[in-house]
Amino acid sequence: MTLTQILKTLITCILVISFLLVTVSAYQQHRAISKLAELSDATTAIVTSLSVEELTYENNMYIIDPAKLESLSTRRELAGENFDFQVTVRYEAGGERVLGPYGSTPPDDRTIGSLAVPCVLYENARFLPAKLSVMAWRA
Amino acid sequence: MAGLNNRGVADVLAMAFMFVMLVLAAVFMHSYSLRPLEAATDRQLKLKSEHLYKTLELAWVDNYSVSYLRAAAENLLLEQPTVPGPYLRSVMENALEYLCPSGYAVAVGLSYENDSWKLSWPEGAGLGLGAEKPFARAGEVRLTMAGGENIAVTVSVRIFEIAET
Repeated sequence: MTLTQILKTLITCILVISFLLVTVSAYQQHRAISKLAELSDATTAIVTSLSVEELTYENNMYIIDPAKLESLSTRRELAGENFDFQVTVRYEAGGERVLGPYGSTPPDDRTIGSLAVPCVLYENARFLPAKLSVMAWRA
Repeated sequence: MAGLNNRGVADVLAMAFMFVMLVLAAVFMHSYSLRPLEAATDRQLKLKSEHLYKTLELAWVDNYSVSYLRAAAENLLLEQPTVPGPYLRSVMENALEYLCPSGYAVAVGLSYENDSWKLSWPEGAGLGLGAEKPFARAGEVRLTMAGGENIAVTVSVRIFEIAET
């Protein structure tokens, strides 16, 4: 076997190994991103559930009843996985006011999904524009 | 081919081809893996546009007991609307500034026959008609006129990405 043949074989092996490494790396990245996408979708599902069902004022979708925030359960099971979340409602009335946060503090060692959507807050017999913020993580 | 093999050119070409394939495969696999996250982000923005529309439809204008979209529809159709036009634009801009997602612009448009009422935030962002990926929610506001005529005003609320300043 000549030196040239050895070099060609070596380069071919390096290319094959590189291809395998790239494939494994891409697969791992895909899995990590899929997990992030699942967390994002779980956060979206929680926000939707809160704004159209659980926190509604007299069953009016998108209108938040602040009285329901106190008794809100902040754990959900979605697609066989448990998620904890923290809820905050912000609105402006002569400066920004904040209701909450309700629920446990997000852990430092977990990936957190967060989403803030516009909503309506029923406060002092008025319907005010507000922001419903949810931070969710895998329990 | 015998000549090529003798000079080793065929092997070099094969290795170069494998190298190009390796680079292309790496780029393709890594870019493809980002798609689920991009789709999830798009779903969140679609949800935000839906919520923004419903908020403008249901929340009351400051100091009045009429919703933002209804007030805008009255400004489009009536000579003496409940909320004066300049005040409505001012409070609606404040509301949109507060509610709009960071890095995005929002445009609200109402139209009836040949008349229209438009507002966008930030000022000068336009209506986002040429935006690459707008997230729009359309609907209508119904007003009953003094003569009993029921008029449906077409409404669109559009969120679109703007360049960060």
